[in-house]
Formats: sequence, structure tokens, C-alpha cells
Amino acid sequence: MRAILVLLAILAMPSAMPGQQRWERQVQERVQRAIAAVGTSSRPAVVTRSGMLNTDEEASFRTTLVEHVSYAIVAVCDDDCSRLQLTLLSPSGSDIAKERNSESLPTLHFTAETTANYGIRVVMEGCRWNPCWYAIAVVPLRKLPS
Amino acid sequence: MAFVRRWVFFTLAPCAVLALAYLPPRGVTSNGKSVFVGQSQHATRARQHAQALAEEWRNADAAVRLLEDRQRVRRDVTRSSPTIVFRGATLPPRAVRNVETVMDSVWRALGLGETKVRVTLVIELQRPTGSADSPTPLQDRVAYLTPDSTDRTTCMASLPAGPYWTLVILGKRDARHEGFGRFAQWLQAGLGPCAFYAAYGTPGRPVGSWLAARNWDVGLYLGSHGIAGERFSSLDLMGNPSSPWYWDRVYAFPAATVACLAGRPSGCRAAVLAGAPEERTIPIPNVVLVERRWWRVQNLLPGERYLGDVARTVGRDRFLSFWTSGQPVDTALAAALNRPVGEWTADWERGFVRPIRLGPTPPFGAAVIAMAIAVLVLTVVAATASRRQVR
Repeated sequence: MRAILVLLAILAMPSAMPGQQRWERQVQERVQRAIAAVGTSSRPAVVTRSGMLNTDEEASFRTTLVEHVSYAIVAVCDDDCSRLQLTLLSPSGSDIAKERNSESLPTLHFTAETTANYGIRVVMEGCRWNPCWYAIAVVPLRKLPS
Repeated sequence: MAFVRRWVFFTLAPCAVLALAYLPPRGVTSNGKSVFVGQSQHATRARQHAQALAEEWRNADAAVRLLEDRQRVRRDVTRSSPTIVFRGATLPPRAVRNVETVMDSVWRALGLGETKVRVTLVIELQRPTGSADSPTPLQDRVAYLTPDSTDRTTCMASLPAGPYWTLVILGKRDARHEGFGRFAQWLQAGLGPCAFYAAYGTPGRPVGSWLAARNWDVGLYLGSHGIAGERFSSLDLMGNPSSPWYWDRVYAFPAATVACLAGRPSGCRAAVLAGAPEERTIPIPNVVLVERRWWRVQNLLPGERYLGDVARTVGRDRFLSFWTSGQPVDTALAAALNRPVGEWTADWERGFVRPIRLGPTPPFGAAVIAMAIAVLVLTVVAATASRRQVR
């Protein structure tokens, strides 16, 4: 089943957009593979964000997580990136979970107790050739019984 | 006794006169007057004020135009080499293609292909002088807009073509006689810091801050040849060491620069690390305006190629470790060079210039003449004294 999902994800991958740089395509492919690998219920939809950062720079965005839904939050980066830190923030802005040990593929698992607007922060801790591209996916896994 | 004093005076006075005449003014600071004065120093205060205002306006205008160009210019996605934009005249397609072809070969010669930071080169063709109510736009200074958080992947270079290259680009001068080699060198030199951004990406904070503090004087040229010819560097602009103005030019530089020219590692280290201890915030937008006579404000000679030579010596991987390092510049650079910065730089400096001699050393000829005169005077004194008879 997982192999089929991976295959479908690769087939569904958008072909290289004109003007897209090699590294941008690289992280888009990686994040699609990561989404396929963790599996998704696809409801609510997967949220993805991408961008680029220099060493020691950070970016954050907010997204709504639905109560009792289990999420995998995955971040990927390009070949020149050596360390990426991923942090989940509460609606008030305090840290809920932080992943900095998985080098270039940090992953967080989280089940929201209430539906709210959570923050996700990514820090480029190591980039050999600045800037490094990254992409984040918030993947809903399954809804737990309430 | 009075007789002896007179003899001593007549012996020493010519020596002093000779010393004053022959000893070159080494070891003293420059009097600030240079023979290389291109502008009148006798402008009125009002004129000086007007010129300063016009200069500020030109700088601000150049920065605004670079920012506007960065937003407006659409990158040519089919080319990995810089996107080229012409300002000041509409070029026939053939002329544009010619310039792009030369730039493609320059890009390949630098070993560059697809890069994370892309370069847009704005070539400012010579325009007629501006109207009387506004200063003429910046036409003789190269300006760069480095990537920042609003656009991390574009480095803009504004390159004034001047009357000479404008005619070459427009095809009004025969390229066969002018030579595309020189035109390629001009384009390559015009890439300036943008070539480093393209090759090695955005520098880490310590290196970025160090380069900003010294206005990129050690990173103006990535090529392996001289900035204006096969081996032509800023050192050649100092002139012949036997020229009377050479020492005046030497002593116009900071003490560390002069010490490095003399081959002293401590001086070289200080010259390289000038600006490194300053933790300055890099402004946004960061516009690097290269001085008109950039070779006169260098801390290291020929500084324009220093980082390019470091990169070629240590290799890409080690240079990237230095470039993006979070460590202080001296630590990161020494680690990349695998040697103390001063020692490596002193060796590098010797590759361009024979170490100059510092201190009040008299020239050999002057010393010989002075000694000969002194011996003659002493002989005369001794002979006179031996004939003296005490009655």
C-alpha cells in the first residue's frame, strides 16, 4: 500500500516549472516523497510551505490544526543543508515541541487537543552554500476517536 | 679650544647638509600632498557643499535604480550566466547577442554554471549630460546590490560603460581592433562581489560583516588573471618604484598595508583582518559602491584579487567552510588556509612585489659619497693637526 502511495506521489509530482532552480525542485520532490512516506488521510488537506534561508536565519508560519487529528510535521532541505531545526509553537507563541537531532529531515508528531492556529518555525542551522532551500509539510495522519 | 670647535663644526655641517639632501623621506608620514590630484583643491565652500550634495544624490539615485531594476527585470531562465540589461540606449539584437556571448564565455571561464545566487548585470551606456536642475546620474562608479532577506537569490551589478565601451557595445568601434579579450576582462571585472555571491553564495555573518566594513576591497575580482590584463593589478597603478611619487603613494596607505608590502607577517595579518573585529549590522538594502579610484583605498595590495586567490589555493570545499563559517574571520581563514593568516598573506604578497625596505636607510650611492667626504675631511684635519707646532 505504501509503495503504491509513493508511486502515486511521484507520478503526481509537478514537472519542473520553468524558472525553478535545481534546488527548489529538489526540495519539492523530497517533500512529496516525505508526504507519501508518512501516509496521509488527506482530510484535512496537507499544508506545505517552502522557501530559502541562509545559515542561522529562521522562518515561521501559522496553520490551523484540528482537534483530535494526529499530524506529522516534516521538514526537508536541499543537498547543501546540513542541519535544520523544526519547532511547533502554541497559539500563544511558546514552544510545544522541537526537533533538531534529525539533521536535514526533522519530523514532529502532534495531536491537537483543540482546534487552533499553531505556529511552525524552521531554523537553518547549517547550510554549506547559502541560501539553502527548505520545505515543510503538515500531514494529517488520522482522526482519533473523541 | 675655539679652533677645535670650528673644525668640528666645519666637519659636521657638510655631513648634515649631505644627509638632508640625500636621505629619502622614508619613515615619515605623507604630507598629504599628492602629485595624483585630478581635481582642483581650491573650490569654494559653496561649491564643495554642492558637490557633496550631488554625490549623495548620485549614490541614493544609484541605490534606488538598482532596487527598481531588481524588482522589474525578468530573469532569462534559459541562461545560467548573468541576465544583462542595457540602460541609456536601445541596442540592436545583434549587439545584445554579442555581449551575451562574451558574458557566457566569461561565466564559463570563472567555472560557474547554474548558481544559487543569480547575477543581473545592468550596463549603463553613456548618456548625454543631465539637465541643469539635477546632477548627472552616477556614470563612473560601479555599484552592487547584494542579496538580502527580501531577495536572497539576486545580486545586481551596475556597470557604467563610459564613452569607450559604449561605442564598442554599439558597434561603432571595430571589435577586431579593440579586442574581445579586453572587453571580456572588463565584463569579468564588472561582476565584482556578485561573482563571489554566484560562486560561493551569501557569506556567513562574520565574513559578510568583515567585507561590508572594508567595502569589499579584498573581493572585487574573482578571476585568475589581473583585473585589467594578464597580470595587471592595483600594484601596477602605483607606478615604478624608482619614481619620485612612489614612496608618497606607499605612505598614503595605512601602516599595516605598508608593513605588508615590506613582507612583515604581522602587518599582513593586520591588513587582512582590518574591519574584522567590528560587529556591524549589514544594512538592507546593502549597496556596495566602489570608489572611483578604488586602488587608492585598499588595505592590501593587490587586494582586489585576495579572496579569489585564497579560493583557488584552498579549493572550493575549504573556501566554502570559511565563507559560511560562524567563527571569527581570523579563525575561519586560518583554518581554511591551514596556516597563520599573516604568514600566508606575506608569501602571497611576495608573489606580486619585492618586499620594500622600510626605515631611514640611505641609498648606497649617497652613503659612499658621504663616507668619502667624511674621510677626506678627517684626513685634512689630521694632516693639519700633525703640522701644528706648539711654540
